[in-house]
Amino acid sequence: MDSHPASSAGAAPGLTHPGWRFGARTTWAAPALLVAVGYYFAARVGFAFTLQPYPISTLWPPNALLLAALLLAPTRAWWWLLAAVLPAHLLVELQSGVPVAMVLGWYVSNCSEALIGAGLARAFVPWPLRLDSLRSAGIFLFCGALAGPVVSSFLDAALVSLVGFGERGYWDLVGTRIFSNTLAALTVAPLILTLASIQIPRLRAARTARYAEATALFVGLGVTCMMVFNLPQFDNHTEPALFYAPLPFLVWAALRFGPAGTASAIAVLVVATIFGTVNGLGPFAGSTPQETVREMQLFLTAVAVPMLLLAVVLDERARVELDAREQRLQLTHLSRVAMLGELSGGIAHELNQPLTAILSNAQAALHLVGNKSAHPDILMEILRDIIAADQRAGEVIRRLRTLFKRGETQFQPLDANELIHEVLGIVHGDLVTRSVEVVSELAAALPKIHGDRVELEQVMLNLVVNACDAMGGGVAPEQRRLTVRTRAVEDGAVQISFSDCGPGFTPEQYARLFEPFYTTKPRGLGLGLSISRAIIRTHHGRLWGSSAPGKGASFHIVLPALAANGR
Amino acid sequence: MKVCVSVIDDDTLVLRSLGRLLQSHGFEVQTFSSPQAFLERHDSDVPGCIVMDLSMPGLNGLELQQALAHAADRRPVVFISGRSSVEASVRAMKAGAVDFLTKPFDEADLVAAVRAALEKDRASREGLAERASVNFRLATLTPRERDVLSRVVAGKLNKQIAAELGTAEKTVKVHRARMMRKMQFDSLAELVRAWTVTQPPPPAPPQA
Repeated sequence: MDSHPASSAGAAPGLTHPGWRFGARTTWAAPALLVAVGYYFAARVGFAFTLQPYPISTLWPPNALLLAALLLAPTRAWWWLLAAVLPAHLLVELQSGVPVAMVLGWYVSNCSEALIGAGLARAFVPWPLRLDSLRSAGIFLFCGALAGPVVSSFLDAALVSLVGFGERGYWDLVGTRIFSNTLAALTVAPLILTLASIQIPRLRAARTARYAEATALFVGLGVTCMMVFNLPQFDNHTEPALFYAPLPFLVWAALRFGPAGTASAIAVLVVATIFGTVNGLGPFAGSTPQETVREMQLFLTAVAVPMLLLAVVLDERARVELDAREQRLQLTHLSRVAMLGELSGGIAHELNQPLTAILSNAQAALHLVGNKSAHPDILMEILRDIIAADQRAGEVIRRLRTLFKRGETQFQPLDANELIHEVLGIVHGDLVTRSVEVVSELAAALPKIHGDRVELEQVMLNLVVNACDAMGGGVAPEQRRLTVRTRAVEDGAVQISFSDCGPGFTPEQYARLFEPFYTTKPRGLGLGLSISRAIIRTHHGRLWGSSAPGKGASFHIVLPALAANGR
Repeated sequence: MKVCVSVIDDDTLVLRSLGRLLQSHGFEVQTFSSPQAFLERHDSDVPGCIVMDLSMPGLNGLELQQALAHAADRRPVVFISGRSSVEASVRAMKAGAVDFLTKPFDEADLVAAVRAALEKDRASREGLAERASVNFRLATLTPRERDVLSRVVAGKLNKQIAAELGTAEKTVKVHRARMMRKMQFDSLAELVRAWTVTQPPPPAPPQA
């Protein structure tokens, strides 16, 4: 991380490349300036959220902002950021007529809060900290939202007492500061941390429905918060159920919009609640200012912590599932590519045929034209054949490209017979060189099935290759026959069967046939059938085998028809 | 006499293109889409050769080669294969293939291979024709004349032959003169050469 200390030490003013980010080679001038500006406005917000006439700030966001900036920045950049906020701190604090000694003291305590939180967190989690796992969220909460505010508050109160500013007692100051800074750390830091990790392209790719849902969520949350926390209380009796009104929205955010959405929703709740409370509205208004503020802060903290953790846990689980899915896709793709590799000899043959035809035709035409014996009709015929051969080669490549492609599963209505036709086209060369005769008994007018073309072709290809392998050694070439059947079965489902006349399998072998890494071939991986079965399962279908001793093996796929699939 | 190149390939496009290419080089060409079609339709009396794909569904190239050998049709075969398996090419060459080309092949190689095959066919047919004619003349000899012939070609003198046959040397001379006239030879050397041609050909190399 610190391999280029010169690049930060000798940072030129201005940006060397557009789109800055906190990276190893980033120039720190722009981020530092951004943090300073943010600090200034955060302090203004802090002042705005001060309960009048008693100067008790309910939420002090500048420290949380600095904490988030330190957590996102590499350690060597910290001094830049701390130095950058000093002018902002002086500017905003000196406006309010606080003695210079106190202003400097607060700079020290503010920086120490962020440093304690970020430094402790960095000891546990390497840069950068992201709220993407329960562990890192827990470390953030403990270090940033608890240890930082608590420890620095003792220092802060001591400094206030030392300077002799104000008339409040030491423990009163400590308590007030802990609560307001913890709440700020819970509100502001997660918001910045999660927003910084949002990927803009993914945001752009989101569908309109998603934006509509987010709008509904935040409008709903905003209106609810207004109703609950920003209306005057006509009697001092507050309905406890009112406090729960925003919760559904927060759970909604945690379930559907991840840590970033939840952090945003918490920020909305916090801002709305404090706004109402400092204006003497909502359920917290009424008692003494200290009690009002404390109750509100406790409420907000008690809501924010579990909601944040819930969002992080859900997000982590979803990502683990996504990873597993991605791995399955990769494995499926790999086994497909490996299978195509085995078929490469036959595929080369399939390409050689049209290439030979094109070459011979062109050479014949060249000769005929050279001899001046070329009749236009013959030349036309030759050119037509060249086109046909070229198209055939193109078709071979198209089929291959489809199967080599790695992509998301795409369900669409498919014709089982057409899939079989494609698959037999791919293995045609192999079937010929292995002297395997194919007998197709395809039922006409089959109902459409619903599935992913590539994955289903992979399954069929696998079964065809298995059948050919089974007939490789022990079966005489003139007896190698692969029978492919399709038929409609009950409920409009389609059954596809591949039967060979190899040695078949025993019940003991069958019991293990679909296990991963079980293989009867000398060079097989043993993944084909287990992946095939997994694919057919995601298609809500069934794949099974049957064998009569000495009469070969059959494998059957049943796929539900389009309508029965319910999609 | 007409000479015909028979092209056999199950792939229509390849079949047509090969036919055209050979035609453009001035060969007489007949195309067949399968070895079975060839066996059913070709005229074994027309001299020529076969250009065919080794791997075809049904009867494959090597099997056709065997079928031809059975029918005593020694028509030379030029194999073209998409995949050159060493084992298959060795078998094909052992069974008397003239050449073994791998797709995509060079035009000149194909033409050279076809020329060589036709030449081989011509030579073997000429030998056959000569043998037939000598055999025909042999059949006109009387048993006594045959006895004389077999001893003449063995290098025996009239006196020895007369002794072996238990007859007069003069009689042997008469038989010998009649035999030479019937066989239409003027010299002993011609007779000996023709005689060796009629000897049964050496057995075909064993099939792998």
